[in-house]
Amino acid sequence: MRGVLDYVPGNTILHRLDPRTKLLISLMICIAAFISDSEIFLLGLLALNLLFAFIGGVTAQALRMLKGLSKACVFMFILQVLFIQQGEPYFSFIGIHITDYGVRTAYMVILRLLDATLPLSLMLTVTRLTDLSNALVVHWHLPYQYAFTVTTALHFIPVFFNDMQAITEAQIARGVSLDTRNPIKKIKLMIPMSVPLLVSSVKKTEQEAIAVELRGFNLRTRASTYKVPHMHAADAAALLLGAVLIAAAVLLNR
Amino acid sequence: MIRFDDVSFGYNDKGGTVQHISFTLKKACITAIIGANGAGKSTVSKLMRGLIRPSSGRVFLEEQDMAGMKVSQLAARIGFLFQNPDRQICKNTVREELLFSLQFTVPDRDRQAACCEEVLAALCLNPDDDPMVLSRGERQRVAMATAMVHKPELLILDEPTTGLDYRECTEIMDYVRSLNRNGTTVAMVCHDMEIVQDYADEVLVMSAGRLIASGSTAAVFRNREILDAASLLPPQIVDLSLRLGEGYENISDVDGMAKAIAGKGAKA
Repeated sequence: MRGVLDYVPGNTILHRLDPRTKLLISLMICIAAFISDSEIFLLGLLALNLLFAFIGGVTAQALRMLKGLSKACVFMFILQVLFIQQGEPYFSFIGIHITDYGVRTAYMVILRLLDATLPLSLMLTVTRLTDLSNALVVHWHLPYQYAFTVTTALHFIPVFFNDMQAITEAQIARGVSLDTRNPIKKIKLMIPMSVPLLVSSVKKTEQEAIAVELRGFNLRTRASTYKVPHMHAADAAALLLGAVLIAAAVLLNR
Repeated sequence: MIRFDDVSFGYNDKGGTVQHISFTLKKACITAIIGANGAGKSTVSKLMRGLIRPSSGRVFLEEQDMAGMKVSQLAARIGFLFQNPDRQICKNTVREELLFSLQFTVPDRDRQAACCEEVLAALCLNPDDDPMVLSRGERQRVAMATAMVHKPELLILDEPTTGLDYRECTEIMDYVRSLNRNGTTVAMVCHDMEIVQDYADEVLVMSAGRLIASGSTAAVFRNREILDAASLLPPQIVDLSLRLGEGYENISDVDGMAKAIAGKGAKA
């Protein structure tokens, strides 16, 4: 089963963009989300992200990502609403005021979280990690070792996620009540689960290190690549869109 | 023991990993689930344990629908040994590992300790060993102990002998056989046809997500059509007996073959 961060092959306009453009526009959308204080603008960014997902043929991944983030959103919303006591109270109970300001802040935090998380994850679903690494090395002169480290770390996210799922399954099978609905009990039980995950992560990293050494990783003397990515008109348009979004975020705050 | 009623399951919308599976697992038997890679054997074993739920159809444990049962609490009735023991190991000593399993199903501490000691002795494990530094075979025995400490009626093994040497493999399988003789029903996913031949009473043959045959191990291994359909080869001794033909075709162990050859030699 494909994970939410795995590359989805395709030939859409998003797939054909230069990896640098995809990285930059993702960051620009994140910056715009954090600058803006307008809920309409943040909702617009969310819609834009979903439009990008549709154009890139990765709508299913985007929706799964949203579903995955929904639990964190609910948790953050509750925390914000309970701890922000400024503003006009809607109602009060046991000394806690649920205020208009608290609800709005919580709502904005959630929108920002979604707007900032989706573009980077969508970028990964329409960009081959090797292309991203090539672009960083050839055009931005990032040392290959660092580019390789970054792309390997990204590549390992779904691997570790799958490992965690397998570990959870194995622990439930031996009777550990990880299928409980009590979130506090579940969190307590998750702590011992980190041991097998850590062990498997260290083993995998060690194996990967040995594998690349055996293939002459440290013998590289210069950055070379078979495919060299180039910017085209679509890249310029995408970067312009990113700049417009940041400008709009600043202007709407005035 | 376990009954599958027209069970299908798919990991995505594009198609089923297993489709329309129906069978009943015989009580107090060792049943092997065999087939090529990707045939759906591990999926069937997870469905049996309740780790995944069918997309359609139903799975029954002792005629009770498993849909409403809490999966972790089933550990007291169904043990599961994964191919990779490291996913189950998370404590500093073997004893802690077993007690961690028991704390969810057995509230009484004295009973926990008694269950623990019994399994440690049966599997020849040192309770104070650090499981992380044990050999692969020993870690597999620790994982087996974490499942058996609940004394389940059914034990499911997902490729239990992968990565083990011959001695470790026979140790694990002999223990499984001894459990079976004491009444535990065993279902095992296995790639090694020699082990299936030596230990399994019944066989379920899977191919491309479907159950294509089931029956006694001896009968299934003598049916070339079934084995070809599942891309499997029979165990060497069965293959030899089939090739030798008349007078040898029902022989399925080395002793039997030796006797048959000696008998033919004496007649000649």
